[in-house]
Amino acid sequence: MEMLLMALCLSMFGLAVTAMAFGAATRPAKSASPVQPEARPAKAVAPTRFFGDHVTPPRTSGSNVPTEVLLAQIEDHVRLEQAAAQSFLESPSHAQLHTKTTSAFVN
Amino acid sequence: MAPEQPELLKGLAADDAQRILAIGTRISLRSGASLFQLGDPAERLFLVDRGLIRLTLPMQVRGRREEVVVEERSAGQTVGWSALIPPHKFTLAATAPLETEVIALPREDLRRHFAAHPTVGYQITLNLAVVIGHRLQLFQAMWLREMQRTVEKHSA
Repeated sequence: MEMLLMALCLSMFGLAVTAMAFGAATRPAKSASPVQPEARPAKAVAPTRFFGDHVTPPRTSGSNVPTEVLLAQIEDHVRLEQAAAQSFLESPSHAQLHTKTTSAFVN
Repeated sequence: MAPEQPELLKGLAADDAQRILAIGTRISLRSGASLFQLGDPAERLFLVDRGLIRLTLPMQVRGRREEVVVEERSAGQTVGWSALIPPHKFTLAATAPLETEVIALPREDLRRHFAAHPTVGYQITLNLAVVIGHRLQLFQAMWLREMQRTVEKHSA
């Protein structure tokens, strides 16, 4: 009888220890400090290459502008390109040839 | 004429330049008037005396044909050198965006004059080569810039 009671007590003790350990393991961690850790942005991951990536995004600026504005942009673009080409002819160099344009038509 | 010697007549003695101008006919163009169209037979060379000439090429924009300005020529400059270069067809259209006066020089009259005055013909041909060469170099540089942008776009 004594042996049975002892075994029962030990079983209950073991069950209690197991329950506490399970509770500790599954309890959501709480920070002691009210300050939350700094949220770090996920490292930028190179976009996966799918066929869909090759689809040109719609050019809202180009498709929404009235035709007259578009034509004016083309005209300005030609003028700017001529000026850039003229500068190159006056002082030919690689840098002069490939100066960046401010043309709204291509930017 | 414009105060400065027109580009086509540079290097000519004053009386030689006057004889060339005497061959020409003065044409007045109202604002918006067409001087020639793309593909027209090029029978006459033009010197812009006053105003402005816009040279345009047709471009398809949103399904419509639009004339896009590729070059502007002002007083003293030459328009329509296709008149002297085979196959004598205009490769651009020319219009006057404002009241403009040009001097039209017929090709055949010029040829006869050059045959009679070879040194004048030589000088004018040289001047014309400068105009054509400049156009070529300008468009070559413009084309290369466009190509560079295309390359950058494709390799981005």
